[in-house]
Amino acid sequence: MFFHITLERNMQLHPRHFGPHLRDKLVAKLMKDVEGTCSGRHGFVVAITGVEDIGKGLIREGTGFVTFPVKYQAVVFRPFKGEILEAVVTMVNKMGFFAEAGPVQIFVSNHLIPDDMEFQSGDMPNYTTSDGSVKIQKDSEVRLKIIGTRVDATEIFCIGTIKDDFLGVINDPGVTA
Amino acid sequence: MGCLLSRMVKLAARAFYDDVSIMGESQSKPGRIDNRGMTVIVLDALTRRQWVREEDLAKALKLHSKQLRRTLRFFEEEKLITRVHRKESAKGAKNFNAAIAATRDTQQTTKEGEEKMKMHMHSYCCLDYAQILDVVRYRMHRMKKKLKDELDSRNTIQEYICPNCGRRYSAFDALQLVSMEDEYFHCENCNGELVAESEKLAAEQLGDGDDNARKRRHEKLKDMYQKMEDQLKPLIAQLDRVKDLPAPEFGTLQAWEARARAASQANGDSNASDSKNIQGQGYGGTPMPFLGETSIEVALSGVEAKEETEPDIKPTALKVIPPWMIKQGMNLTIEQRRGIMPEPNVEHNSDDKKSSVDDKKPSADRDNEKSLQDEYLKAYYAALVKRQEEEEASRRIQQQTELSTSAAEEPVDRRVGMKSKREDDEDIEWESAAGTGIECWVGGRNCMVYVFDGVLRQYDIKYVVYRKDNIVIPKSQIGNSSQSYKLADLNAEADASDDDNGGDDDDIAWEEVFRETAVDFAGASFANVLAAFAGRAADFGFGFAGVFLFDADFAEAGFNFAAEEDIDFVLATVLALSFEEGATGFALATVDLGFDLAVAIDLDAAGFFEMAFAATLPEESL
Repeated sequence: MFFHITLERNMQLHPRHFGPHLRDKLVAKLMKDVEGTCSGRHGFVVAITGVEDIGKGLIREGTGFVTFPVKYQAVVFRPFKGEILEAVVTMVNKMGFFAEAGPVQIFVSNHLIPDDMEFQSGDMPNYTTSDGSVKIQKDSEVRLKIIGTRVDATEIFCIGTIKDDFLGVINDPGVTA
Repeated sequence: MGCLLSRMVKLAARAFYDDVSIMGESQSKPGRIDNRGMTVIVLDALTRRQWVREEDLAKALKLHSKQLRRTLRFFEEEKLITRVHRKESAKGAKNFNAAIAATRDTQQTTKEGEEKMKMHMHSYCCLDYAQILDVVRYRMHRMKKKLKDELDSRNTIQEYICPNCGRRYSAFDALQLVSMEDEYFHCENCNGELVAESEKLAAEQLGDGDDNARKRRHEKLKDMYQKMEDQLKPLIAQLDRVKDLPAPEFGTLQAWEARARAASQANGDSNASDSKNIQGQGYGGTPMPFLGETSIEVALSGVEAKEETEPDIKPTALKVIPPWMIKQGMNLTIEQRRGIMPEPNVEHNSDDKKSSVDDKKPSADRDNEKSLQDEYLKAYYAALVKRQEEEEASRRIQQQTELSTSAAEEPVDRRVGMKSKREDDEDIEWESAAGTGIECWVGGRNCMVYVFDGVLRQYDIKYVVYRKDNIVIPKSQIGNSSQSYKLADLNAEADASDDDNGGDDDDIAWEEVFRETAVDFAGASFANVLAAFAGRAADFGFGFAGVFLFDADFAEAGFNFAAEEDIDFVLATVLALSFEEGATGFALATVDLGFDLAVAIDLDAAGFFEMAFAATLPEESL
């Protein structure tokens, strides 16, 4: 889920940016560097909401770069085990389907797809119920539950299930029904 | 409680490990023995011992030490036992022997002669009860969880296997590392298609309609779960009973040895450590303070010992024997019987016994054995009633934890002057705070049971079986002095033989078979030996002895058993009947020995107890 937290980072600034707009340039650089990245600990940094504090710059030896410790606030997204998310299906596979919930990719294996849904290959591979009422294909929206996350240093992977109650397709896919 | 815990271990062993076959990797030899179930035997053996050297255990169980070691290694991995390996010279090994001898449950091996000074690797192992409890409970929890998860088909993270190289991936890996565009996950190494590892417990059924397959799987899982619950119920019940008890701590090997040796030294023995037997070793950690330094020496070669005991005991007051100790035909003084005259039917067998004992032939013995045994039972029941009356009195009189109320005299007397004399072959020494001994003689073949309890908790039981040509002869017939036996004889034979005898033993080679075991009961002090019995199973040619023990409040009971041969005798059935709070009963069927034994003990709130004892005996033996 989403969190609003304070993070800290040491930004290095090239001397060419020194001038009256030093601070703006620094913030811009911060945004460019951090937004969209993922740290295992905090999750995906979605957006920086504000800069709290910029400390005194330290000139590095040997080069003219200056290091500023910057404290900023950001919205981060971190999935947890047991969390229920809505996601958009990106790929349907014989082994299951991949869905994306924002920056995180979730895999739902066929073992965790309800038993009445069968895989049907074709140019639009999908999972569908025997009576054809429910279909999961690319760009369908599904609600799923995360049953496991693996957190690397810079990546988070999730496994999900739609086998529980109230999970599954939310609405018909945007593509032709 | 010791036996509760050991019962739990036995149940767990039979539940989980009875089909484990500890075989070597090379199974090519057709002549390999099928060892399934060996694990159970080994575990049972370990419940009867504390720290034990693996070689000793192998000898006791008559197993190949390699096989035993494999088994023990398996157990160590299962976290049931703790093992210690250390390099020791033979001297160090002797120290261990001493330590073992100092506690209980030893198979006395004569190692005095060995003088090897090479450093061998000795391995010791010991059951770790606290860990066993945890391990067993965790195992069951995992089993249930696995089945439940499969049953609910919930939240299991898929695993994938590459059929080519056998590499395993979890769903996480499959996600990130291996997903490619052609609908399958491929292995990293060999690019083979990964196969989903489908439900481990219920295999996929091919060919059926998918619905049926799933339903069948579901049913199968449900059945499995149900079966598991049913079969594990006794174990679960036992675990419940046991889990609140404090687990006995044996400490590390060093600690245990040090304790044992310290205890032995505390008793002031200066004899060779090998042959020291210490009484009063705590089942738990610290050595219990001895209330007195009484030591009793048991001479295993009869001759000198009897001489020594005789003069010592004669001048002192004769020991008062509790009525339940009295076997019919015992030639006891009134004082010994605590003023209670024996019943008339008790005495008339004494003549029989006398005559039979005089004649050393086995056949005569055999004839009398049966009648003796019947009489034993009768007398026992008779004595039982008396016993109840005695209980109140005895408890008042008892100042220490003792078998019989007046037993304090005996060890004191024995100690005086006896220690120095008893430097016999075996040189066994008994020391105990309370120092009481029961000898019980059964029939013409004697298994002498000495039962001592220390201040707390531990009893050494020794029984000595003297035999010649596989016939056990009363010890009194071996040695000349038999006065000691009148103290607690359960039958008159010993007494009768006292009078006879003399120096017959010179030309007869007596084979001594000495066994020693110890009873351990955790968490309670067993003040009273309720009954001791011994006998011989003629069919199998070995003697046995056992004791029933109670603690001071008669709240807990225990039973221990020792057999002449290294029989790892499994209590086939142990029932716990509780009549009331604090009462227990147990029965055991000793299929091996050919008789059944059942004891039911009932304690009421006032501490009055009743005990019912029944045994079916083989007709021709004992």
